[in-house]
Amino acid sequence: MPPKPATLSIPTQHAGSARDVMLNRSRALSEAHRAILDGAVSERRHLGAGEVAVRQGQPVRSSTLLVEGYMTRHVDAVDGRRHLVSVHVPGDFVDLHAYPLGHLDHEVGALTDACVAVIPHTTLERILADHPALVRQLWFLTLLDAAMHRQWIYRASSLSALERVAHFLCEMHARLLAIGRCEPGRFTLPMTQLDIGEVCSLTNVHVSRVLRQLREERLCTMRSTQVEILDLRGLALRGRFDPTYLYLDDTLRNVAIGRTP
Amino acid sequence: MSQNHDRARVKPSDTPGRATAQDGLVLLDGPNGVAVTMTAEAAELTAESLRLAAAQARGSPHARPEEG
Repeated sequence: MPPKPATLSIPTQHAGSARDVMLNRSRALSEAHRAILDGAVSERRHLGAGEVAVRQGQPVRSSTLLVEGYMTRHVDAVDGRRHLVSVHVPGDFVDLHAYPLGHLDHEVGALTDACVAVIPHTTLERILADHPALVRQLWFLTLLDAAMHRQWIYRASSLSALERVAHFLCEMHARLLAIGRCEPGRFTLPMTQLDIGEVCSLTNVHVSRVLRQLREERLCTMRSTQVEILDLRGLALRGRFDPTYLYLDDTLRNVAIGRTP
Repeated sequence: MSQNHDRARVKPSDTPGRATAQDGLVLLDGPNGVAVTMTAEAAELTAESLRLAAAQARGSPHARPEEG
């Protein structure tokens, strides 16, 4: 039986949208800062699965906070192939980096039906002027994105097929644990084998074989969108997964690799 | 930062890749981070190319004995 997290702090539902931002991370977001972010939201939007929220190269005048569902950043290569370069869960700003950049070098789309909160850049400018401590936290979020990108490069370039998939499953499990959207050892991953292949630079045939291996090694199973981790510590070791790059708090960092707090 | 560790990572691999067949395709795993899927024809041509290159490498005046 996987260990239960001892002290994951999941605040009660906020009226706004910032309840999942930076939960259980090494740098916590204060309730005052959550309230400021909630107050900065100009509208909430629903996106259908597959809908593109931000187009590559288009001017961006607002930033998008994912409230419900899953979204991706993807790059459409010249050969027509789509490459998923990040997967987002609630509490993630999917395009905060567009505020200083002005436009994106990739697209942002909804992987599932999703609900997002929109914060205009003009409002971010006011936060920039009035709340420097919150700005540091938002900066942290974009740096966290960069840390994950570095791990994704490492995963795709240095790990075997099985290690890549095991590493990705451990990462998604840890990130969902952080926002209280799963229990230890079990989570929903609304991705096809093709999607996982695009994350791990593998064909769906390769992903299929790897998932069978993981099942045969009694590390984890994936049925439809349900992932059950049978041996979290073993899966983390097999995937060379070290959650340091996720900047989780101490408790969750241990839970994420199957260590009892 | 460990420079010795970095040097170790860029050494030529002496571990062979492993090829398996699944669903009418060939999966090549390793060495290092190699993980590719090929058609049977592409796999045969790759194997031929690898054999040829290996033979050339063995006969090359730059060929070095295995490092310990």
